[in-house]
Amino acid sequence: MTGAGRIEATAVDGGWPVIALSGEHDLSTAPELRARLHEFAEADAVIIDLDETTFVDSSILGVLVGGLRRARESDLPFGIVLGDEAHPAIRRIFELTGLHDVFPIYPTRALAQAGLSGDGGPS
Amino acid sequence: MTATADVTLVVPAVPDSIAVIRQTVSGICEALGADARTVGDIKLAATEACTNVVLHAYAGREPGSIELDAFATEDELRLLVRDRGAGMTPAPMAEGLGLGLPLIAALTSTLTIIEPDEGGTEVSMTFALRDTNPDS
Repeated sequence: MTGAGRIEATAVDGGWPVIALSGEHDLSTAPELRARLHEFAEADAVIIDLDETTFVDSSILGVLVGGLRRARESDLPFGIVLGDEAHPAIRRIFELTGLHDVFPIYPTRALAQAGLSGDGGPS
Repeated sequence: MTATADVTLVVPAVPDSIAVIRQTVSGICEALGADARTVGDIKLAATEACTNVVLHAYAGREPGSIELDAFATEDELRLLVRDRGAGMTPAPMAEGLGLGLPLIAALTSTLTIIEPDEGGTEVSMTFALRDTNPDS
Protein backbone atom coordinates (compact mmCIF):
# COMPACT_ATOMS: atom_id res chain seq x y z
CA MET A 1 0.00 0.00 0.00
CA THR A 2 1.27 3.46 -0.81
CA GLY A 3 3.06 5.07 2.09
CA ALA A 4 2.71 2.03 4.33
CA GLY A 5 4.93 2.32 7.32
CA ARG A 6 7.79 0.09 8.36
CA ILE A 7 9.14 -0.44 11.84
CA GLU A 8 12.69 -1.61 12.35
CA ALA A 9 14.25 -2.36 15.71
CA THR A 10 18.04 -2.32 15.89
CA ALA A 11 20.30 -3.32 18.74
CA VAL A 12 23.26 -0.99 19.13
CA ASP A 13 26.59 -2.21 20.52
CA GLY A 14 27.33 -0.25 23.64
CA GLY A 15 24.22 1.87 23.24
CA TRP A 16 20.49 1.89 23.59
CA PRO A 17 18.35 0.02 21.04
CA VAL A 18 16.72 2.08 18.32
CA ILE A 19 13.23 1.61 16.89
CA ALA A 20 13.06 3.42 13.56
CA LEU A 21 9.76 4.23 11.87
CA SER A 22 9.69 4.96 8.16
CA GLY A 23 6.75 5.96 5.99
CA GLU A 24 3.25 6.54 7.33
CA HIS A 25 1.97 5.18 10.63
CA ASP A 26 -1.53 5.07 12.05
CA LEU A 27 -3.92 2.67 13.77
CA SER A 28 -2.85 -0.12 11.40
CA THR A 29 0.77 -0.10 12.61
CA ALA A 30 0.18 1.00 16.21
CA PRO A 31 -0.08 -2.61 17.51
CA GLU A 32 3.29 -3.53 15.97
CA LEU A 33 4.93 -0.46 17.48
CA ARG A 34 3.39 -1.27 20.86
CA ALA A 35 4.72 -4.83 20.62
CA ARG A 36 8.21 -3.63 19.73
CA LEU A 37 8.20 -1.22 22.66
CA HIS A 38 7.08 -3.98 25.01
CA GLU A 39 10.09 -6.05 23.93
CA PHE A 40 12.33 -3.42 25.49
CA ALA A 41 10.08 -1.76 28.01
CA GLU A 42 11.13 -3.39 31.23
CA ALA A 43 14.76 -4.07 30.49
CA ASP A 44 16.09 -1.26 28.43
CA ALA A 45 15.83 2.32 27.41
CA VAL A 46 14.59 2.98 23.91
CA ILE A 47 15.29 5.52 21.23
CA ILE A 48 12.49 6.11 18.72
CA ASP A 49 13.83 7.47 15.44
CA LEU A 50 11.23 9.45 13.47
CA ASP A 51 13.63 10.97 10.93
CA GLU A 52 12.29 8.81 8.07
CA THR A 53 8.67 8.99 9.21
CA THR A 54 6.29 10.90 6.96
CA PHE A 55 3.06 10.67 8.97
CA VAL A 56 1.89 9.75 12.46
CA ASP A 57 -1.52 10.16 14.04
CA SER A 58 -2.81 10.20 17.61
CA SER A 59 -2.83 6.38 17.71
CA ILE A 60 0.94 6.40 17.35
CA LEU A 61 1.34 9.24 19.82
CA GLY A 62 -0.70 7.21 22.29
CA VAL A 63 1.70 4.28 21.94
CA LEU A 64 4.70 6.57 22.37
CA VAL A 65 3.22 8.18 25.48
CA GLY A 66 2.58 4.69 26.87
CA GLY A 67 6.22 3.81 26.20
CA LEU A 68 7.42 6.98 27.89
CA ARG A 69 5.22 6.31 30.92
CA ARG A 70 6.46 2.75 31.33
CA ALA A 71 10.07 3.88 30.90
CA ARG A 72 9.64 6.47 33.63
CA GLU A 73 8.01 3.91 35.93
CA SER A 74 11.07 1.71 35.44
CA ASP A 75 13.41 4.68 35.79
CA LEU A 76 14.71 4.12 32.27
CA PRO A 77 15.33 6.83 29.70
CA PHE A 78 13.20 7.15 26.58
CA GLY A 79 14.05 9.51 23.76
CA ILE A 80 12.89 10.53 20.31
CA VAL A 81 15.06 11.48 17.34
CA LEU A 82 13.55 14.23 15.23
CA GLY A 83 16.13 16.09 13.18
CA ASP A 84 15.98 19.32 11.22
CA GLU A 85 15.37 17.33 8.01
CA ALA A 86 12.48 15.33 9.47
CA HIS A 87 9.11 15.59 7.75
CA PRO A 88 7.32 18.81 8.83
CA ALA A 89 4.11 16.86 9.50
CA ILE A 90 5.80 15.02 12.36
CA ARG A 91 6.98 18.16 14.11
CA ARG A 92 3.55 19.68 13.47
CA ILE A 93 1.59 17.00 15.36
CA PHE A 94 4.01 17.09 18.26
CA GLU A 95 3.57 20.86 18.47
CA LEU A 96 -0.23 20.74 18.04
CA THR A 97 -0.55 18.28 20.89
CA GLY A 98 2.07 19.90 23.13
CA LEU A 99 3.97 16.61 23.25
CA HIS A 100 7.17 18.27 22.00
CA ASP A 101 7.48 19.53 25.59
CA VAL A 102 6.83 16.09 27.07
CA PHE A 103 9.30 13.87 25.21
CA PRO A 104 13.06 14.25 25.27
CA ILE A 105 13.68 15.06 21.58
CA TYR A 106 17.15 14.88 20.02
CA PRO A 107 18.27 16.02 16.55
CA THR A 108 20.37 12.89 15.85
CA ARG A 109 20.71 9.30 17.04
CA ALA A 110 24.22 10.02 18.28
CA LEU A 111 23.02 12.91 20.43
CA ALA A 112 20.15 10.76 21.70
CA GLN A 113 22.56 8.00 22.68
CA ALA A 114 24.83 10.52 24.42
CA GLY A 115 21.97 12.37 26.06
CA LEU A 116 20.20 9.26 27.34
CA SER A 117 23.47 7.78 28.58
CA GLY A 118 23.72 10.87 30.73
CA ASP A 119 20.46 9.68 32.29
CA GLY A 120 22.15 6.53 33.54
CA GLY A 121 22.65 4.64 30.30
CA PRO A 122 25.15 1.92 29.41
CA SER A 123 28.76 2.74 30.20
CA MET B 1 -30.93 20.86 -1.53
CA THR B 2 -28.20 18.29 -1.13
CA ALA B 3 -24.89 19.00 -2.78
CA THR B 4 -23.37 16.27 -4.89
CA ALA B 5 -19.97 15.13 -3.69
CA ASP B 6 -17.05 15.54 -6.06
CA VAL B 7 -15.52 12.34 -4.73
CA THR B 8 -17.18 9.52 -2.79
CA LEU B 9 -15.41 6.56 -1.25
CA VAL B 10 -16.81 3.72 0.83
CA VAL B 11 -14.39 1.35 2.56
CA PRO B 12 -14.65 -1.26 5.32
CA ALA B 13 -14.21 0.20 8.81
CA VAL B 14 -10.90 -1.55 9.48
CA PRO B 15 -7.47 -0.11 10.29
CA ASP B 16 -6.02 -0.79 6.82
CA SER B 17 -8.75 1.35 5.22
CA ILE B 18 -7.54 4.49 6.97
CA ALA B 19 -4.50 4.78 4.71
CA VAL B 20 -6.72 4.33 1.65
CA ILE B 21 -8.82 7.32 2.66
CA ARG B 22 -5.72 9.30 3.62
CA GLN B 23 -4.13 8.72 0.22
CA THR B 24 -7.37 9.62 -1.53
CA VAL B 25 -7.64 12.86 0.43
CA SER B 26 -4.00 13.62 -0.26
CA GLY B 27 -4.57 13.19 -3.98
CA ILE B 28 -7.60 15.49 -3.91
CA CYS B 29 -5.64 18.17 -2.03
CA GLU B 30 -2.73 18.02 -4.42
CA ALA B 31 -5.06 18.21 -7.42
CA LEU B 32 -6.56 21.35 -5.87
CA GLY B 33 -3.12 22.92 -5.51
CA ALA B 34 -2.98 22.98 -1.71
CA ASP B 35 0.44 23.57 -0.16
CA ALA B 36 2.26 20.80 1.68
CA ARG B 37 1.33 21.99 5.17
CA THR B 38 -2.36 22.19 4.27
CA VAL B 39 -2.22 18.74 2.71
CA GLY B 40 -0.62 17.40 5.87
CA ASP B 41 -3.25 18.99 8.09
CA ILE B 42 -6.11 17.60 6.01
CA LYS B 43 -4.56 14.12 5.93
CA LEU B 44 -4.25 14.18 9.71
CA ALA B 45 -7.82 15.35 10.30
CA ALA B 46 -9.21 12.74 7.90
CA THR B 47 -7.14 10.04 9.59
CA GLU B 48 -8.39 11.01 13.04
CA ALA B 49 -12.02 11.03 11.89
CA CYS B 50 -11.65 7.58 10.30
CA THR B 51 -9.83 6.23 13.35
CA ASN B 52 -12.81 7.22 15.48
CA VAL B 53 -15.07 5.24 13.17
CA VAL B 54 -12.85 2.15 13.23
CA LEU B 55 -12.44 2.20 17.00
CA HIS B 56 -15.88 3.20 18.17
CA ALA B 57 -18.68 3.22 15.58
CA TYR B 58 -19.24 -0.50 15.23
CA ALA B 59 -17.99 -1.76 18.60
CA GLY B 60 -20.13 -4.72 19.56
CA ARG B 61 -21.98 -4.61 16.23
CA GLU B 62 -21.71 -6.07 12.78
CA PRO B 63 -18.66 -4.58 11.00
CA GLY B 64 -19.62 -1.61 8.86
CA SER B 65 -18.10 0.94 6.57
CA ILE B 66 -16.50 4.35 6.52
CA GLU B 67 -18.08 6.67 3.96
CA LEU B 68 -16.17 9.68 2.70
CA ASP B 69 -17.63 12.49 0.62
CA ALA B 70 -15.38 15.30 -0.59
CA PHE B 71 -16.76 18.64 -1.81
CA ALA B 72 -14.30 21.10 -3.31
CA THR B 73 -14.42 24.73 -4.32
CA GLU B 74 -11.53 26.87 -5.44
CA ASP B 75 -10.73 27.95 -1.88
CA GLU B 76 -12.19 25.29 0.32
CA LEU B 77 -12.40 21.55 0.79
CA ARG B 78 -15.17 19.95 2.84
CA LEU B 79 -14.85 16.35 3.93
CA LEU B 80 -17.79 14.41 5.28
CA VAL B 81 -16.86 11.23 7.15
CA ARG B 82 -19.91 9.13 7.92
CA ASP B 83 -20.60 5.84 9.61
CA ARG B 84 -23.79 3.85 10.21
CA GLY B 85 -22.79 2.72 13.68
CA ALA B 86 -23.64 3.48 17.26
CA GLY B 87 -23.37 7.26 17.16
CA MET B 88 -21.21 9.33 19.45
CA THR B 89 -20.82 7.53 22.74
CA PRO B 90 -18.31 8.18 25.48
CA ALA B 91 -15.56 5.66 24.81
CA PRO B 92 -13.90 3.81 27.65
CA MET B 93 -10.31 5.00 27.60
CA ALA B 94 -8.74 1.62 27.21
CA GLU B 95 -5.97 3.24 25.25
CA GLY B 96 -5.30 6.37 23.34
CA LEU B 97 -4.99 9.91 24.50
CA GLY B 98 -8.38 11.25 23.48
CA LEU B 99 -6.60 13.60 21.11
CA GLY B 100 -8.56 12.76 17.98
CA LEU B 101 -11.39 15.28 18.16
CA PRO B 102 -9.25 18.09 19.65
CA LEU B 103 -6.79 17.59 16.79
CA ILE B 104 -9.58 17.69 14.21
CA ALA B 105 -10.94 20.87 15.81
CA ALA B 106 -7.50 22.47 15.68
CA LEU B 107 -6.98 21.55 12.02
CA THR B 108 -10.33 22.58 10.54
CA SER B 109 -11.85 25.97 9.80
CA THR B 110 -15.28 24.56 10.68
CA LEU B 111 -16.21 21.28 12.34
CA THR B 112 -19.73 19.92 12.67
CA ILE B 113 -20.68 16.57 14.19
CA ILE B 114 -24.22 15.34 13.87
CA GLU B 115 -26.08 12.13 14.59
CA PRO B 116 -28.60 11.63 11.76
CA ASP B 117 -32.01 10.21 12.57
CA GLU B 118 -31.15 7.05 10.65
CA GLY B 119 -28.19 6.40 12.98
CA GLY B 120 -24.46 6.71 12.92
CA THR B 121 -22.36 9.84 13.00
CA GLU B 122 -21.44 12.44 10.40
CA VAL B 123 -18.30 14.48 10.89
CA SER B 124 -18.17 17.47 8.54
CA MET B 125 -14.79 19.17 8.29
CA THR B 126 -14.03 22.27 6.23
CA PHE B 127 -10.50 23.35 5.37
CA ALA B 128 -9.23 26.54 3.76
CA LEU B 129 -7.05 25.59 0.82
CA ARG B 130 -5.24 28.92 0.54
CA ASP B 131 -3.44 30.71 3.30
CA THR B 132 -5.32 34.00 3.56
CA ASN B 133 -2.88 35.40 6.11
CA PRO B 134 0.54 35.88 4.49
CA ASP B 135 2.13 36.53 7.90
CA SER B 136 1.19 33.16 9.36
